[in-house]
Amino acid sequence: MLIPIFSLQLNNKVFPRTFAVGKFDGKKPSLIGATAGNKVFIHSPHDINPQAQQLDGSVSFLNVNQVITSLACGQLDEQLEKDLLVVGTNTHIIAYDMERNVDLFFQEIQDGANAITIGSWGELPETLAIVGGNCSIHGFNKKCEDILWTVTGDNVSALSLLDFNSDGYNELVVGSEDYDIRVFREDQLIADMQESEIVVSICPLINGKFAYALSNGTIGVYERSNRQWRIKSRNMAIVLETFDIDGDGVEELVTGWSNGKVDIRNDRSGEVIFKDSLAASVAGIVKADYRIAGENSLICCTNEGEVRGYKFSVQDENLAVAHTFKSNQEAVRDLLQKKQTLLLEIQNIENVGKAHKELDDQFGTIEVLTEIPASTEIQTGLAVEKAGNDLPGHVAIKIKTTNGTIIRAVTIFAEGLFRGECYVVHPAAHQLQENVTVPIVLPRDAAVDLHLQIFVGLKTSKLFHIFDLTRPLPIFSMYTIIENSSQNEPKGYVTFSINERISRIVLWINHHFLLAEECAADPASLYVTFLCVRTDAKLVIRMQNTGHVRIQTDDIELAGNIIQSMGKFLKIENLHTNGDFPLEFELLQQVFSQIEEYQAARQRISSDMAEHASIIRSFLIRAEDARLMGDIPIMKQHYIDLLHLNRDLINGYTIRCTSHEELMRHLRFLNQMVQKAGNLRLGKYKTNTINHCRVAIKGNNVELLIKSIRSGTV
Amino acid sequence: MRDIDPLFQAISYYRRRKFEQCVEVTSTLLEKNPNDQVAWLLKMRALTEQLYVDETEVADDGLADMLDDNAFHQTPMPGTSMRQPTAITNTGMSGPSPAMRPTTMTGRPITGMLRLNSQSTQGGKSMENALKTARTAATARPVTTATGRFVRLGTASMLSTPDGPFLQVGRLNLPKYAQNQAVSRSLFEHLFYHANDVRAALQLATHANEVYQNKDWWWLAQLGKCYHRLDMFRDSEKQYVISLEIQPMVDTYLYLSRIYLRLDQPLLSITKLQEGLEKFPFEPCLIQAIARIHEGLNDMKQSIEHYRQVLKLDNTNIEAIACIAANHFYYEQPEISLKFYRRLLQMGVATSAIFTNIALCCFHAQQYDMIVACFLKALGCATTDDERAEIWYNIGEMALYTADIHLAIQCFRLALVHNNDHAEAYNNLGLVELQRDNNEIGQIYLQTAQSLAPHMFEPYYNYGKSMYEQGDLQSSFRAIKSSLDIYKNHADSKHIYDELRKMFSEL
Repeated sequence: MLIPIFSLQLNNKVFPRTFAVGKFDGKKPSLIGATAGNKVFIHSPHDINPQAQQLDGSVSFLNVNQVITSLACGQLDEQLEKDLLVVGTNTHIIAYDMERNVDLFFQEIQDGANAITIGSWGELPETLAIVGGNCSIHGFNKKCEDILWTVTGDNVSALSLLDFNSDGYNELVVGSEDYDIRVFREDQLIADMQESEIVVSICPLINGKFAYALSNGTIGVYERSNRQWRIKSRNMAIVLETFDIDGDGVEELVTGWSNGKVDIRNDRSGEVIFKDSLAASVAGIVKADYRIAGENSLICCTNEGEVRGYKFSVQDENLAVAHTFKSNQEAVRDLLQKKQTLLLEIQNIENVGKAHKELDDQFGTIEVLTEIPASTEIQTGLAVEKAGNDLPGHVAIKIKTTNGTIIRAVTIFAEGLFRGECYVVHPAAHQLQENVTVPIVLPRDAAVDLHLQIFVGLKTSKLFHIFDLTRPLPIFSMYTIIENSSQNEPKGYVTFSINERISRIVLWINHHFLLAEECAADPASLYVTFLCVRTDAKLVIRMQNTGHVRIQTDDIELAGNIIQSMGKFLKIENLHTNGDFPLEFELLQQVFSQIEEYQAARQRISSDMAEHASIIRSFLIRAEDARLMGDIPIMKQHYIDLLHLNRDLINGYTIRCTSHEELMRHLRFLNQMVQKAGNLRLGKYKTNTINHCRVAIKGNNVELLIKSIRSGTV
Repeated sequence: MRDIDPLFQAISYYRRRKFEQCVEVTSTLLEKNPNDQVAWLLKMRALTEQLYVDETEVADDGLADMLDDNAFHQTPMPGTSMRQPTAITNTGMSGPSPAMRPTTMTGRPITGMLRLNSQSTQGGKSMENALKTARTAATARPVTTATGRFVRLGTASMLSTPDGPFLQVGRLNLPKYAQNQAVSRSLFEHLFYHANDVRAALQLATHANEVYQNKDWWWLAQLGKCYHRLDMFRDSEKQYVISLEIQPMVDTYLYLSRIYLRLDQPLLSITKLQEGLEKFPFEPCLIQAIARIHEGLNDMKQSIEHYRQVLKLDNTNIEAIACIAANHFYYEQPEISLKFYRRLLQMGVATSAIFTNIALCCFHAQQYDMIVACFLKALGCATTDDERAEIWYNIGEMALYTADIHLAIQCFRLALVHNNDHAEAYNNLGLVELQRDNNEIGQIYLQTAQSLAPHMFEPYYNYGKSMYEQGDLQSSFRAIKSSLDIYKNHADSKHIYDELRKMFSEL
């Protein structure tokens, strides 16, 4: 069990997920975290620095002077044998050697740094600081060389290094804001898991397992790509950490919640085995030998700067007895509860019977069925509907009962489809019918399982029968087949050759599209046109019996999805494709030139601001001089000047902020483009394409970039 | 004799560094033909040369820089930062105690040579304190780095061109000039040094870098210099580093090391300089810069070691000789420091300060015959009142050693006549008066010294001691505490402090 061993106040706010522990002199651990005023605090009770000892609560500060978005501690330089601090801001990344007061590097990173982790990645020989930013992942070594670069679908929100496939090398697990968890073996994507919300934290467990937390309060555990369990809470999980609390050598999962709760769960079942509550939202949880060397303790920190430490202690006998007694009692209570519910059920049934009897007594003649007919069945149908009648294009779920019974309500569970994961349809009491149609709009192409619960009963009944159904929605549900016509064909296309028969592709189409009737296989050639009901854009798939496939669409993302899905279905490992997307490329060119403009503007604005700032400083000094000399009118004059200048400075700052936001948006577009270009290929061609694009972006060469996206080579 | 061709004459003046005449000649040329590009360029260069300063030497921290948090770590480990005042942490420091070797306002031992940046007052003081600290003629600092230069260069440029500025900076078509290789560099220097319009210079450098696609080390370094002046250290650092990658240059290394000093990372600064030394192993400037940083970190041993290396490469380096001499003097080897000072004299550096130093060395080396002659020579050489004040103070010191109280009083008074803010003189006068039982006057002198030099512990200790003897224990305690704040390990102060504490606890 865990026992609290210490508690202290940092007297500073702590920003969530920026709390860490590091041994900056190689021996004594210090707690660090980001706090208000763009500062990093360091709490080091063992500090030998005499100046630090005089400080209030042995907390000292680092001035970062930029908005801190992430930080990490680790041995970036193995030779130094001490931890270095790596701080990520929205424009820079700083590696700092605390003991020597020296920057290892200070590197501009346009994509920002939302998450940082330090460790070895795959078979790369050096320790890397891996920085996840705006759709991109950088791996920096100690000399600040950008060893590895790759892209993901959206802003990176969580990073963790762990041995995913138990091959002895670390893989990088990346959670991003497009609800995906991706696993990278060096720059190769080896697994991809869909989640239902933004992934906020990932934490490695043993045996290739890892835990994750989502921003909607879900936490869960994956073993490789299979989810073992998950639970959902009203509160939001902030951080995950592991700690061995029962002394069995296996570390349990510790979760810090936004309401200040800290709980520890068994990593196999998710069962809670320890609980404690702090006064404010948890900002970070770390594990370190903070008080006594060699003995790990679990340290939790809240947003308000309250720190509490726990350590493992062997249970004494009394405690064990108490524990078994407690668990016995719990079992009894569980059974009692079960008994209670059963009793309630019996009572309900009796009541219904009694009511009928009373009715019988009163009228005698009216026949009221207490149960729905045993033959009742539910028919469900899925259909793609085009936009019209105030409704956008959607997938319609049609539910119907086979006899006169009515449907009172339908609840639909689907992961990530609805806000709150659940969707309920309950017609008004006078509109109850035996059939219900539920329109669903799928915001993006992803395969989902729909779990339907249908409440079926009679018009008068108060108790309903529930039917549980599961209907899978294929990945390309929002597409409907239409007449082939050569007019208005999409200009963008991607072509490739595969060694497959047409019938296999037809099979793929039947599996992955929602079709009213199955597509027939024509051995000579394949030519089908789909209409995306979401955007009213066309998608054409053609195939010759030579194995030459041409997919026409203006949406590069859709083309990528199709190729990825086909690749998975047909088990293709490496695939090289050629494509052209004139509309997207035009946009890309615009974005490229805009990025250059924004960068030039930013430089100009910041130099203006620097000059203003230096003039403001001199005004301040002069004003203060005047104050000390008691020359109030001059002081006033200086302060008025200062006010005007300050206003200018603030205006400049707002301009800079907006231009920075625009820049970020464009950069994200650029990175997403690269990722989509990668998705057009499979296996090693994908990695190649991404690397070529990277070279082109580094060289600021838009022609080369477009060429790389088109052909995947230079 | 026929007249020389005016253009040739102008070039000749320029090469002989007679810039004023050069400007005159080129101005007449330009009056005749305003489109004469050669004359225009020559005039621009002559004007620039008049005001050229070595940027590696000027970067005096301004008062207002205290407002900024450029330093990364607020409380770095001792020995890793310029901001750690010795007085608090002198336990672990090498070198003589403040009792032996006087300190500057920062709490660092006095150096052998007065130079920029050796008098900054950052050491752990609040803004209010720094503002209140007596800013006399000798210790005044510029308000900010930018304004300091504004004043100096602004007035200079106005003087040299009474009929308005040479260039209308606002009207220049900078992108066009950036294309023109022949003019762009001179124009940049003119903007940077003469017109002091850093923003325009920055724009020109940015355009030029676009033209050269960031491949020209000179322009990159200039861009860095502009950012440096605008106090945008991180941008500046980036440019310097790229410039060094293309072409290692001594100047760029020195600029870069200055940047790291401003960011309060002296160790990184030293590392960069050493990297530079690998490329330029016989460059005294780099070694000298390292020596200065070590001096700033109170690491006298290392500092002197590096100064010695400088002397091996350049045996006429005044700063190195002076620093080594001063160090020997404070390490009680006046004879050796005498040798170094003699070397300075041989090199033709005959200032009053050196004669004073020689006189002091002679006194401590017991060569009494030389003292009076040296002091007389020093007084003869002195050009400013400050120097005369220092000399008279030192003569007064001698008089004290020879127990000639009356002469001492006269000397200290003379010192105060020349420099009314001479705290040491006030302190010694106070002591003498106390000895003559003029307690009130003595204490007033000491209090004046305290207010003039808050970095000195002596006036506090002396005041505390006199109060202790008179029985005003409360004032004594206060003064002794201040003394201990400045110099933690002062044994005499500690003694009185302990006594006082014992008495107070008995109450």
